[in-house]
Parts: sequence; C-alpha cells; structure tokens
Amino acid sequence: MSPQPPPPVPGRQPRAVRNALAALAEVVSAGPGVTASEISAALRLPRATTYRLLNLLVAEEYLVRLPDLRGFALGARAGRLAVPVVPRPCTAARAVVAHLRGRVRWGVHLASYAGGQVTLVDPDPDHPRSEEHLLARHPHVSALGKLLLAETPDRPPPASELRRFTEHTVSDPNRLAAQLAEVAGAALARQCGELHLERGCLAVPVRSPVDGTLIAGLALSGPAHRVAEPNTDLIDLLRGHATRLAPLLS
Amino acid sequence: MTYSPRVADQLRGQSPMAGLDRRNLGPMQVFAQSVSGAAPAAAMAVIPAIVAANAGSATIWSLAIATGLALLVAGCIGQFTRRMAAAGSLYSLTAKGLGPGPALLCGTGLMVGYSLLGMGSLTGAAMQTAALLARLGLPGSGSPAAAVVLVVLLAGLVAACTVRGVRLSAGVVLLVEALSITLMLVVFGVLLVSHGIAPDTRQLSPSAGPGVGGVVAGVLPALGAFIGFEAAAAMGVEARRPFRTIPRAVRSTAALTGVLSLLAAYTQVAGFATVPDGLAGQTEPVRTLAAGEQLPWLSALLDVGLATSFLACAVATTTSLARLLFTMGREGVLPPVLGAAHRRFRTPHVAIAVALPVLAVVPVLLFATGLTPARALVPLLVTAALGYLLAYLLVCLAAPVFLHRIGELTAGAVLATSVIVPVLLVVLAAFLSTAPVSVAALVTVAVLLLAGARYLWLRARHPERLAAVGAYDETSAADLLGTPPLHWTAPLRRPVATAAPDQPAVAPEPGAAPEPDR
Repeated sequence: MSPQPPPPVPGRQPRAVRNALAALAEVVSAGPGVTASEISAALRLPRATTYRLLNLLVAEEYLVRLPDLRGFALGARAGRLAVPVVPRPCTAARAVVAHLRGRVRWGVHLASYAGGQVTLVDPDPDHPRSEEHLLARHPHVSALGKLLLAETPDRPPPASELRRFTEHTVSDPNRLAAQLAEVAGAALARQCGELHLERGCLAVPVRSPVDGTLIAGLALSGPAHRVAEPNTDLIDLLRGHATRLAPLLS
Repeated sequence: MTYSPRVADQLRGQSPMAGLDRRNLGPMQVFAQSVSGAAPAAAMAVIPAIVAANAGSATIWSLAIATGLALLVAGCIGQFTRRMAAAGSLYSLTAKGLGPGPALLCGTGLMVGYSLLGMGSLTGAAMQTAALLARLGLPGSGSPAAAVVLVVLLAGLVAACTVRGVRLSAGVVLLVEALSITLMLVVFGVLLVSHGIAPDTRQLSPSAGPGVGGVVAGVLPALGAFIGFEAAAAMGVEARRPFRTIPRAVRSTAALTGVLSLLAAYTQVAGFATVPDGLAGQTEPVRTLAAGEQLPWLSALLDVGLATSFLACAVATTTSLARLLFTMGREGVLPPVLGAAHRRFRTPHVAIAVALPVLAVVPVLLFATGLTPARALVPLLVTAALGYLLAYLLVCLAAPVFLHRIGELTAGAVLATSVIVPVLLVVLAAFLSTAPVSVAALVTVAVLLLAGARYLWLRARHPERLAAVGAYDETSAADLLGTPPLHWTAPLRRPVATAAPDQPAVAPEPGAAPEPDR
C-alpha cells in the first residue's frame, strides 16, 4: 500500500498563508507597537480579515499584544523562525576560557544565553560535549540550562516539556522548582547523570557588570561521580574565570 | 536593548498576575472547567420540565433559541479572551470596555453568582450523595445531620483539590465531569431506545403546544441551563495557549450544553407525549420515565451522574471565585492579602481559604432552619442566575466599546451586542418579576449597594486602586522576541528594536493613518 498523499491545499488557503506572513513582516518592518488598523492599511486587507489574522498569530504566540492591547510586537515564539545568530566571543574572552582549560583536566565550555536559550559559543574541542540541540531544547537536564531556568522562577517550563533522559533526570515540576531555588541561592548549578548516566557538569553564571543580568554560563564537564564531589577549589577557580569573563562579554 | 518609547513605557518586568501556575493547562482541562461550571447533567434532568411549563411540546425550540443566545454571549466574551489573558473572568473583561465602575458591578454580580452556585452545587452534591447512601441502605442518610456532614466533607474535598494545584483540580474536574456526562448519555440513550425509535415529529413544529408566545417565554428558564458556562474565562493566566483555548472552550461549552439539553428535552417530551399535561406537570421526569420503562437502575445512574456533576461544578465555581477574589486583591479593590499565591502550589490559597468556609456555612445554616437540601437548592440556583445574568449583560455591552477603544471594531461585534443586550435586559427584567420578590429584591439591592459603596469609597480614598481595575496577565518584556537584552561582542542585528529613543524608532508606515502613540 502506498502512503496517503497529503491533502491538497484548498482554494483560499494559499492566500491566507501569504497574508499571515505579510502581517508578520509588517510587524517587523513597522516595529513594535504597530496597531491592527495600521497593519490593515499597509497590507491593503479588509479590516475584519486583518483582525482575524492577527488574533490567530497572537493565539499561536508568533505575535504578542502590548499591555495597551492596541499594539503588536513579535512574540518569543517568532524566534523559532530564525536560526539564532550568536557571534563568537572576542579573542580576549576566548583567551580566558583557554587559560582555564590549561589549568584543569575537565572539559570547559562557554555558553551564551542570548535569545533566552542555551547556545554553546566556545565548546571544549578536546572533550565530548553534549548534543547542542538537546541543551537548547531541554534546559532542565544541564547545569548551564538550570542556571538559565533559575533566572525566571515565575516562568517555570511546562511539566509536559520535562522529558526524562535517565533515572536521575528531575522531571517533577515541584522538585525542579526546589532545585532551581538552590541553584539561584548558591549561584552554582550541578548536574550528575541527568542527561547521560556517566556524565555530569558544573556551571557558574557570568553576569553583566553593569546591571547584573545573566549573560553567559561557564561550565566544567566530567564523569558524574567526580562532579558530585564538593570540588571546592575547582569551583573557586571556575568563579574566578567567570568574573574575568564578565567585562569581556557584556 | 531599548525599545521605542511607545513600547518601553508600557512594559513591566513582571506580570501583575505573577504567582499563579502560568501557562500550564491543556485545552481539555480548560474546556472541562467551563463545562463543569454549566453543570449540563443537572440541566438535563431539571430544565426541560421547567421550560415545558411554558413551551409545552415545543420545548426544544425554546432550548434551541437559548443555545443561539448563549453562543452570542460566548462570541462577545471571545472578543476579549482572544486578546487578553485574565484571571478575573468577566470582571476584568468588563473593566477593559466600560471602566472600573461597571466592572465593580459586574464583579459583585459574579461574586454573588459564583458564591450561590458554589453553595448550590455543594448542597446538590450532598443531596445526591445522601440519596446514593440511602440506596445502599445506610440508616439515617436522609437526616439533616447527614446533609451537614456531607456538605462539610465535600467542601473539604473541594478545598484540597483547589489549593493543591490548578493542574490537580482541573484534572479532577475533567475526570468527574466526563463520568457525569457519560452516565447522563447512557440514561437518556436507554430511555430514548426503550421508548421506541420512531421520531416524534410533532416536536419539530414551533407552533405545537402553546404557540410562539410560549416558546419565547420558555427561553428564560432555558437560559438557566447555560449559567456558568463562561468559567474558562478565569483560566487566562493558567491556560497554556489562552488566546486559542479559552474562546474555544466557552463557545464549545455553549454548543455542548445546548446539544445535551436538546437531547434531554426531546427524550422527556416524547416520553410524556401521552400524558395529559405532558412534561410540564412532572417534578421528577427522568425518574418517572425510568420507572415507567421498568428500568429502576437508571435512577441510580442518574443519582451518580448528578452527584458527580454537582461536585465538578463546586470545584469549577470555587476555582473561578478564588481567581476573581485574587484579581481584586492584587488590584487593591479588596484586601491585598486575597492576592497572595501559595509559593509551592501556585494557587490563590488565601482567597480559597476565605471563600470556601462561606460556601459551606451558608447551606449548613439553611439546613439548620429546617430547609431540606432539595428545598434549599432552588432559591440558591435561581438567585445565582441573577448574578450571572447581570455579568453577562455587562460584558456583552462592554465588547464593542472595548473593540472601539483598541481600534478593532467590526460590524459583526456591534450586531451581536445589539441583538444580545436587549434580549438579556428583557430576560433580567422577566427574571426579577418571576423570582420570589423578597429574594430577588434583596439580592439586587445588595449587589447595587455593595458595588456602589465600594466604588464611591475607592474613588474618594484610593483612586489609584480604581485605576488598577482590569489587571490581567499582560505581555512583559520576557514575552517579546529578543529579550533579555544581550549584547555579545557585537550587538544582535535587530535594527527596529535597538533604535535609540531619540531616533525615529518606527519606519514610516506607508498609507497608515496617523495614530496617537498611547
């Protein structure tokens, strides 16, 4: 039996898709705060059609309504339409990371939190690194991801997205919330065997010296049983390098 | 990153509704909330006989018209819920259209409606549970003491569900309501089949029975079947995709309740077609039909169906009431302690702790005065409907004003409001004239006085709190693409959003009408 062919696109749908994309493009070019009637005029679409289209895009979270309920802006979900472009850190910053690599026998990774997700910008070339797409999609299983989640305790990830990878994965929302509170308190995240049973990592935040926002995370990766040890000297070393990175990255 | 001034001024770092379990309920859970609020099982068992008193064998026509009206109200509510995610239900929505004064009136009406429906559903659940226990042969299960114990136990159960987390209570509501509707479908399906497959075509003519006047008079009690169907509007903060799921949940609930009551009405009218007075003269129509068809076990199923429906309704109404009080607490319209959220469970636990004892104590007091649960139920439900109708009227009135205010008014919205508002006014007036005079007058005066006094006091003492009315889960900086603002070695290329405030941040819009910034 051959697989069913996909259903043909019915008559008016191509136009509706084109209009939706045009509306998105109009919000980008006009800038945040553009109103429905402005979009309707710019696209030369009937007003009722435009409102329906915009409500649909808001429902799908590609657009958001601003607090005055009149203006529109791109929603966080629209970020999925583009590959996040995170520029390489500057030479000075990479030199700091390289210096740390020379002092420890662990894998040393630098991640950016630009765009609200974990992106490795200087992964350790000599050590196996976690699959990057898993880091971005499942922040609850990595130390770097936990640092990011701990920044926004009022926006916990939905329980349905807490995928279990191993028996150590924290997939219970309440336990995760408690763990993230600890991470925020200690400014240190630790993960032992939550993504791969044998591996773990430690991460400390790099904060902007200007306003203290979380800009990056510096992580050490190694065998899970070694990560579980106190590692006091190692963490001090890690923190020292994170402090040196802060002015170079912000 | 700097936004253009017309955006930056609006954005707050944190939503005014922070603390609730944000964006965590799926579409079925939200839908179940609304269905439970309307409690279709109870409507299926009771409403058709009341409608038939006016409309006779044309009962299904009254119910069909009422379904159409409920869909119109759902449309008006949808104009708001597609655009804003509120926890204060119709109160917050009305505020965005008509301002704080009418919003307080709407909120007070809702508060009365939620409270009385909560009391009524606790009473109904206790009554049906007692009936089930009596069936099992438990001695003394019909006594007033048993009713009191059951109300207190059920209130405890509702408190445990609603405080422990919205996912738990929504899950319980979904399960219990699904059971209830399944049982009711079995009961009415069996009755329909055992009565005979031949369709009763007489019912299809609107002029059958007392005529068109009777059909119109029947619409008023028929609307009672839909009371509470807007319950999903209180889940704006907690629904995962609120702008999609909430309008859909409210609309589908109106349609589902309509279909279920039409099925129930058709079955009952057909079943009593040969009796002189028809359905109109019956007090327990479903039980009488079951007995007539020699199917006594159907009565037991009906008891379980009704008990579960009332229980789900109690949980759903308490959930909505707590979120209304929570919103008012956050705004400062009520004491701010009501706006507290439990750190771990992320529920408005103080609001629940204040509301639930009241919901339990009033039925207990009514029983103490010698009223049986069955007698106490009717005035509670009838008076609750009054509060709800007032809220529906105000939110329908607010919809086109709101759309005009944000510059998105359409002809359809104006048309819907101009149809539904006069109808609701007539319904409200008819309601006041038919309800027991003392109760209706008392409630109306109480609502007007409470809302008016609170409004005047706030306007004199705390005008800033009145300005806060209408708080909802608004877009904060983190919801926009490209936040938190991060600059790596080179700024991210986002020319529009990164324009400095002194430069024109917005490209000139071709053909756009000049709009004021705010």
